[in-house]
Amino acid sequence: MRARLQRFRLSVTPQRVMAVLFLFVLGYLVVVPLGVMLQETFIVHPLERFQIPGSMPGDYTTAHWERTFVGPNSYAFFYRPLLNTLTISLGLAFLALLIGGTLAWLVVRTDLPLKGLISNAAIIPYVMPSWTLALAWITLFKNQRIGGTPGIFTALTGIATPDWFAYGLFPITITLALHYFPFGFMLIGGALRNIDAQLEESAELLGAGRATILRRVVVPLVLPAIFSTFLLTFSRGLGTFGTPAFLGGPVREFVLSTSLYANLIGQRPGIGYLAAFVMIALGVLVLYMDHRIIGSRRSFVTISGKGARAGLVRLGRWRWPVTVAVLAFIFGVIAVPIVALAIDTVMLRPGVYAWSNFSLHYWIGEASLRIGLGTGEPGILRNPQLMRALGNTMQLAIVVALICGVLGMLIGYTVVRLRGTWISKLLDQLSFLPYLMPSIALGSIFLAMFAVARGPIPSLYGTFWLLVVACVVNYLPYAVKAGTSAMMQVGPELEEAAIMSGAGWWTRMRRVLFPVQKATYFSGMLLPFISVTRELSLLILLVTPATQLATTITLRYTDRGWYPYTNGMVLLLVIIVIASTVISRRLMKTDLAKGLGG
Amino acid sequence: MPQIAIQGVSRVFAGDVRAVWELDLEIPDGSFTTLLGPSGCGKTTTLRMIAGLEMPTAGEIRIGDLIAFSLAKGRSLAPSKRGLGLVFQSYALWPHLTVAQNITFGLEVQRLGKAETTRRLDEVAAALQIDKLLGRYTSELSGGQQQRVAIARVLVMRPSVLLLDEPLSNLDATLRMDMRAELKRLHAETGATVVYVTHDQLEALTMSTHIALMHEGELQQFAPPLDLYARPANRFAAGFLGNPRINLLEGVAHRDHVACGALSVPLDAALAVAAGAPVTVGLRAEELRLAPVDGDDTAPRAARGVVTSVLPTGSDWYYRVHVGDHDLIVRQNELPDLRLGDGVWVEAAPAPLKAFDAAGRSLTGAAGIAPGASA
Repeated sequence: MRARLQRFRLSVTPQRVMAVLFLFVLGYLVVVPLGVMLQETFIVHPLERFQIPGSMPGDYTTAHWERTFVGPNSYAFFYRPLLNTLTISLGLAFLALLIGGTLAWLVVRTDLPLKGLISNAAIIPYVMPSWTLALAWITLFKNQRIGGTPGIFTALTGIATPDWFAYGLFPITITLALHYFPFGFMLIGGALRNIDAQLEESAELLGAGRATILRRVVVPLVLPAIFSTFLLTFSRGLGTFGTPAFLGGPVREFVLSTSLYANLIGQRPGIGYLAAFVMIALGVLVLYMDHRIIGSRRSFVTISGKGARAGLVRLGRWRWPVTVAVLAFIFGVIAVPIVALAIDTVMLRPGVYAWSNFSLHYWIGEASLRIGLGTGEPGILRNPQLMRALGNTMQLAIVVALICGVLGMLIGYTVVRLRGTWISKLLDQLSFLPYLMPSIALGSIFLAMFAVARGPIPSLYGTFWLLVVACVVNYLPYAVKAGTSAMMQVGPELEEAAIMSGAGWWTRMRRVLFPVQKATYFSGMLLPFISVTRELSLLILLVTPATQLATTITLRYTDRGWYPYTNGMVLLLVIIVIASTVISRRLMKTDLAKGLGG
Repeated sequence: MPQIAIQGVSRVFAGDVRAVWELDLEIPDGSFTTLLGPSGCGKTTTLRMIAGLEMPTAGEIRIGDLIAFSLAKGRSLAPSKRGLGLVFQSYALWPHLTVAQNITFGLEVQRLGKAETTRRLDEVAAALQIDKLLGRYTSELSGGQQQRVAIARVLVMRPSVLLLDEPLSNLDATLRMDMRAELKRLHAETGATVVYVTHDQLEALTMSTHIALMHEGELQQFAPPLDLYARPANRFAAGFLGNPRINLLEGVAHRDHVACGALSVPLDAALAVAAGAPVTVGLRAEELRLAPVDGDDTAPRAARGVVTSVLPTGSDWYYRVHVGDHDLIVRQNELPDLRLGDGVWVEAAPAPLKAFDAAGRSLTGAAGIAPGASA
């Protein structure tokens, strides 16, 4: 007994103390909210008491489950949005795989010119807010359906776009695929790059032709990356909110996320929480499949070749046509939306694309009820509301990036140092858990959790700190992954050498562990920074007028049809995001690809 | 007074893995003691427990007068308070610091003052001939140079005990020879107690004053190297030391010899086993002799075999000879006229015999301390 006590006393190390601390914090922020959310699906909310006869707010009920799954309106509430969600996710995953994979193969394995430019540019669509393309699509192709003026395409050609083309599942799938294909590009590109050339050379020496080598050697080797891409983009599709909100709204086509939002904000919170629950279940299912299909085979990807790189496939006379096509595609995905949005912000009267209509009114104009749309709002750059929202966004992005960076480093340190113990495994899995939750579902969880005071924790609803907590939890998987891999690369000896020199824990962190992996930690912070800047799904449920963000406020402007303001704000965000990516790449040598892909 | 006393120390990992089990070891002051054994034998864990990087699950470790660790007293001294330095296998040089910054890191942490820091840096840099490298980053150094920096970083703290964890394993063969001599010189110059971990028996034999041979977490034998080589405590010790591997032959004990099939090995003293008991005889390659088969003569104690491989090393020849059920390795320093497939006589040269009982314990006397053998 005494020996056991002594052993315990001696085993109190910084990493163990932190492990216990983190377990409590993560348990409270990740596990408890899940329970609270599940509970909400069984509770009568104040607005629901008239829908559920004879009930009082706070009563327990199974009505939400019945109405969602078997009720007369369940098709509209649930099954149709579910079907739409699955259709979109599936389509987007296939398209992203096709585009990303082809591009990756061209860049890594062929003699395509301008590879550096193409690889750098191919990441930009992911960095931009996902619904930039949705807004651009509307700007380009909108028709009479939502009233007002036609899009640029119709204005230029006179051809009216059909509804299925302008709104709904088709454009949602296309624009999301164009946003997420960089995942495929980076994951498959990385896998292709890691294939040991000797594997292909052996096949070649055995007499296999190009096609056989590709089919029997290369594709099987990158298969794990292909699956990863597919499941990753699929799961992103489940939780995305902005794009289906912008493109599905006009034709009242709902997906799970938008239906969740409508129910939660509207009269049926219970059903909204249930939708969130289903989304999380789908997320878990995807991860389980990922685990089952790839689990043991993932190691393929990490075989790094020492041999020389395999000879590049010569594109021959196709070289230049392919180059032009690739450049046109990437240019189209990046520049066309930006230009379309930009044009829209400088056209005084919407839908009239002429030089005479050019005006900076929506950027710097005075508030007026007569000019242009007659919104009574000052131009974006002098609009206190918009600028305050932008300020909030920047403040939030910086705070979250810093907290994520520190937490990622500390949790990564704890996980790696206690490797092999249950506490390390639990901590690792807990911090991964938010990854399974579609971000709008996570948002609804925090809404349920922090709407009221619980014990010593005050109600955070309406405060900046609720947004911080939600963002930190949402990006924690990436932060911890970056922190863990940084710590793994260092190996324990570097720290132990400092211990031997008598350096305390803080000194070791400050003078050894952090500086050694500086670039990785900054990359780990860049991702949350960029993501927060363009985050909509996660925060749409949590913002209040006092904490409006650049992204959420644009949604309000879209609702009123004030597209020039929306588009201008999105342009500002795109500029901020791209600039911070480029600058941090220059200054800190960060590599966004490192933090992605999870 | 022993410099490092390890008493009843165990390290049990999760899942009841006994990395080190009830280790008793006294490492003499000023010695060059090698912890030797195959990978996974607990030697590195032992070194790390001495350093204080690993916490024993039982026992006590004293370094000089200091109680470095004692479970009973609930005491564990911080590594930096134990007066020792550790050179890591990977060197563990900090890549973001220059050579000079690497070396002075510990002095700065201990706030030694600028003048003294510079003085010590110059001194150690001169001693290890790295004074021209001080401004470089460690990634710009060769393996041998990195090694020297790692040693300098430790020596600058003036430890009374120097711990080295397989420090030569990342160097190429020639450099390894040089560094062995260099480490021996450092040991002589500093007078520090050196604890050296390696799985390379040649390193252990050439450098140490004492070898602690470990296997599966337990100490097998603790003795000076040549004694260990000559009088191994058990079959494992006999098999681990010596290159090529010792020939182990199963045989039956007789009054004045052991019969291993056709080969008869003479005894210089009677074995403490009954006649007819099974015995394993250890014969090193140099303790066997070959003679060509001429006509039909038979040497009285020899066995007939066939040469299955000839391996010249320059100064010697190693022959693999198939005798009965055994493949024997025989070293010859002159070339008998033998080719592959030739018949040959094999006989045991007169030498102090190494014989082991059925449990693998030595019947012919173990050198030094052999906890396993006395059990």
